[in-house]
Amino acid sequence: MAKDMTLWWGSGSPPCWRVMIALEEKKLQGYNQKLLSFEKGEHKSKEVMDVNPRGQLPAFKCGDKIINESYGACFFLECEYMSQGTKLIPVNSSEKALVLQRTFEGNTLHQKMADVFMYNRRVPENERQESAFKRLKETLTGEVQMWEGHLQKTPGGFLAGKSFSMADVIVYPSVALLFRMGLSEKRYPKLSEYHKNLKDRPSIKATWPPLWKDTPGQDFLKDI
Amino acid sequence: MAKDMTLLWGTGSPPCWRVMIALEEKSLQGYNQKLLSFEKMEHKSQEVLDINPRGQLPTFKHGDNVLNESYAACFYLESQFKSQGTKLIPDGPAEQALMYQRMFEGLTFYEKLNVVIYYTFNWFVPEGERHESALKRNKEALVTELKLWESYLQKLGSGSYLAGPSFTLADVVVFPTVGTLFRFGLSPERYPKLGEYYNLLKERPSVKASWPPHWLENPKRLDTLKDI
Repeated sequence: MAKDMTLWWGSGSPPCWRVMIALEEKKLQGYNQKLLSFEKGEHKSKEVMDVNPRGQLPAFKCGDKIINESYGACFFLECEYMSQGTKLIPVNSSEKALVLQRTFEGNTLHQKMADVFMYNRRVPENERQESAFKRLKETLTGEVQMWEGHLQKTPGGFLAGKSFSMADVIVYPSVALLFRMGLSEKRYPKLSEYHKNLKDRPSIKATWPPLWKDTPGQDFLKDI
Repeated sequence: MAKDMTLLWGTGSPPCWRVMIALEEKSLQGYNQKLLSFEKMEHKSQEVLDINPRGQLPTFKHGDNVLNESYAACFYLESQFKSQGTKLIPDGPAEQALMYQRMFEGLTFYEKLNVVIYYTFNWFVPEGERHESALKRNKEALVTELKLWESYLQKLGSGSYLAGPSFTLADVVVFPTVGTLFRFGLSPERYPKLGEYYNLLKERPSVKASWPPHWLENPKRLDTLKDI
């Protein structure tokens, strides 16, 4: 039951957002939640470390079960609550295959984005190099182009076809973050269309990062 | 059916190994397979690119269904062949939750190992960007990660699999990383629980059947990780 669940989360973090979308889609509104600040280092607080020794968000408890990995939480929720809310993994084998393929490619997209956005946080000053950063940005560009291509080839409005699926739960937050960071709508029309169309989906509207609502994004990605 | 499946793979690649273990566990021996060479850049051949535009291995097809992401292939196989072979997703919610948690921590585990190996062998890191301090930092991160997995196995007790008493998808996806760690010289004295887990799993038929062929040809372990 939602009342037995607790989510510790941070605004704008795609892994946190994935779990929140999944909870909404599986009709598990009413879960306990606590918004924490990455900037204030609250993800390293004792409260979080007690649940997630990695000191990362999301941290998620379902009764006495702990699933901090966002993919793990989403899959677990789909499995446990298969009969309620949206069916996130289709029964049909071809549809299932495409959903699973895109869902896990989503991890590659997330990693490449993190390599760029977290560069200064991850790489000590003496190791930072313009050439390395440039290379990471080029790698991200190639990845984003691949997703634009996926959407061009997949009619239906969602990442895996005509139904909302686990692929959208996992990947939409990353796409939204790309545009938040200034990705060009002109250069990536399919991604832009996808971004705009899903904004009004109830689960996404309900979980839109609170800190994004009143502040402008950045233009970091405008040239890629 | 296995006859409708094709796997393009490379020896010693944990993602490829995961899919092969899953195929064995689901009694799908007899699938079509082709061993390709990373060194000869065969993962970038047209044959691979036609199925996997990323030019990566594993590349896997079941009929028209393409599943190149190893975790996707493993989930797909368990789901499509639920009633045959080993049950890879336990029924009990507690065990299932732990399986999901460890499976996905397995991605982090694999990345941390990879960074060290790539750095050590100078793969993917251009010469001008290599820093001794980075290698040191990455090794420390791997040690922290290893201690975490040691503690996980410690809590579950001897003879246990990653999610409890049964072999699950968590073992399918994580064992290849553990196998690789010991291949590269990880010390079982320093990491006894991981050593025990390695010894338990290496005897499993699916693991034996899919053991990297070049490791059989050259059984001597490397010493890259012996001091960490």
